[in-house]
Amino acid sequence: MSIASNASAGAPRIHLSQDMQQIIYRLLAAGLLCLALSLATDAFLTSNNILNVLRQASLLFFLASGLTLVILTGGLDLSVGANIGLSACLAATVIKATGSPILGTLTGLATGCVIGICNGLMVAKLRIPSFIATYGMLWVLHGITYYYMAGETIHGFPPGFRQIGSGHFLGIPIPVYLMVGFLVAGTVFAQRTVWGQQIYAIGANPVAARLTGIPIDRRLILVYAFSGAMAGVASIVFLARLNSAEGDIGEALTLPAIAAVLIGGASLFGGVGSVFGTFIGALILTLVLNGMNLLSVNANWQPLVTGVIVIFAVWLDMYGRRKA
Amino acid sequence: MSNFKILAAALPFAVMATGAMAADETIAVFTKNQTNPYFQTVRVGADAAAKSMGAKVVHYIPTKPDSIPEQLSQIEDVIVKKPSAIVFVPVDYKAMVPGVEQINDAKIPVVNVTDRSAGGKFLAFVGADDYSLGLETARYLLKEMGGKGNVVILEGVKGSLTNVDRVRGFNDALKEFKDVKLLASQPANYQRLQGLQVMENLMQSHPQIDGILAANDAMAVGAIEALDGANRKAKVVGINGTKEAVDAIKANKLLATGDYNGFLQGCIGTMAAIRALRNETIVTEVVLKPTVVNASNYQPYDRPLESRACPSWSEVEAISTKTN
Repeated sequence: MSIASNASAGAPRIHLSQDMQQIIYRLLAAGLLCLALSLATDAFLTSNNILNVLRQASLLFFLASGLTLVILTGGLDLSVGANIGLSACLAATVIKATGSPILGTLTGLATGCVIGICNGLMVAKLRIPSFIATYGMLWVLHGITYYYMAGETIHGFPPGFRQIGSGHFLGIPIPVYLMVGFLVAGTVFAQRTVWGQQIYAIGANPVAARLTGIPIDRRLILVYAFSGAMAGVASIVFLARLNSAEGDIGEALTLPAIAAVLIGGASLFGGVGSVFGTFIGALILTLVLNGMNLLSVNANWQPLVTGVIVIFAVWLDMYGRRKA
Repeated sequence: MSNFKILAAALPFAVMATGAMAADETIAVFTKNQTNPYFQTVRVGADAAAKSMGAKVVHYIPTKPDSIPEQLSQIEDVIVKKPSAIVFVPVDYKAMVPGVEQINDAKIPVVNVTDRSAGGKFLAFVGADDYSLGLETARYLLKEMGGKGNVVILEGVKGSLTNVDRVRGFNDALKEFKDVKLLASQPANYQRLQGLQVMENLMQSHPQIDGILAANDAMAVGAIEALDGANRKAKVVGINGTKEAVDAIKANKLLATGDYNGFLQGCIGTMAAIRALRNETIVTEVVLKPTVVNASNYQPYDRPLESRACPSWSEVEAISTKTN
């Protein structure tokens, strides 16, 4: 929280109050969830489980943090899940073929980034609505990945590489460090840099943004490239954690990633939202699964419970803002 | 022939023509998706059978995994193209009945494979019994545990036919072992990542877990990663007999995998279709007995699918339950 408030302090006044309000109510929702879970089971509030939840939230956060910037511009990137699939499969192939985790990692990151740049070019230069451009990209990527993998999996990576996903440093999982790093970097970028503020401005009022001379095309390409690159990061952590690549690994993550951004307070119309809010969103979604597993909620009820909690978390924010 | 070329050009990712044999008999093979390795084994089995009998196979696979509307429209396409016969895995055993009726109306002979259709007329059914697959695999684990200890179940997609039957088999096996305690039965939706995360969560609330019953191999392998990450040991079984599971058995990480015999199903389904076209005797029902693949019998599974051969017809008759 200190990260966000420090960062917001330097931002224009209007962002400070909006962000603070949102973040307080999002934190309240997450806090209530934690309180309920710690009352319900002793297994919840242990350092082991907290680290466990943070590590689980990291994958979703990587994906959702890049997506946050896209949504801030009023766009959407539906291809992030399919992007993870292809990036992970290509990275896995390179690691297997060359034995070099570094080359594999670079392949994954580059694949993700190139896909993002393609999305950005379609949106900025060809003026294709982002929903359609990235939805089309989703199918193209699935097509390539499924054809390439033909239902096979690639598994078994070097122990050094696996540290990225399953290693610890000073008792804290490596993905948690990565998450904190990207959280700080993303927050500073969005709140404290000129480019970050231009991204907010594009989403808040595209016409005004254009008139003030913001290079809209270049900023749009940048945010889609970021989103793609973060999918690349997620694909590498995914590989390192699961020790295995298959074509459909990211498919189940697209909607939760979008949900994490929106639960975190962003608006699909653009201009509103924050990377920190997205972190809280990813955390809430992860806590729901963690809590249901700890409490052994019957499998039949789990989808219903998830739905109710997501709606409640956002309602709490809306209710709080009306009161305020 | 030319019809199929046009189709292959129009739907590059949905349809992949295989088998270069010049033959009059064309078998259209419908499977559920390109992502689950199981259906790849069915397709390779179908290809092997057709190749050995001198027929041609065209595969129809929904681009969106398990898509009901897409498989329905593929049926409509196929009825226009008029293949000699169809080998059909319904994406949904109830929802595809109208599609099967269309095939029946078009008088194209059709063999039902894997999931038994709730309606329509078929030459034969070839499948494996998910219930006994779950039962036998679970019995093997519980025996290996010495008939005592704590187990958890990782369930597949709620409401899918395979999952309902497999989990019922698991639970019935558990009833035979009074000293085994079922700690939790939680859904991980046949997904590797969810298998890992659900297992990580369950380990928080259950300090002693001795056995894990996973309804497919991907979840089993995900659960093994979770155990490794926490430096804990448990005996794990999965279902499907995938290459990855066999590798895990060789590495002494997975205890066993129940084999669904997708390759055999593809073989027998396609052989039955071709034999019917040639007015040779066929069997009307083959329900394959489960094989529990473990460290003592994995050798036949430890080689590429493409190098396996279909059984002879007399062997098929020996395992069939109904003939005509």
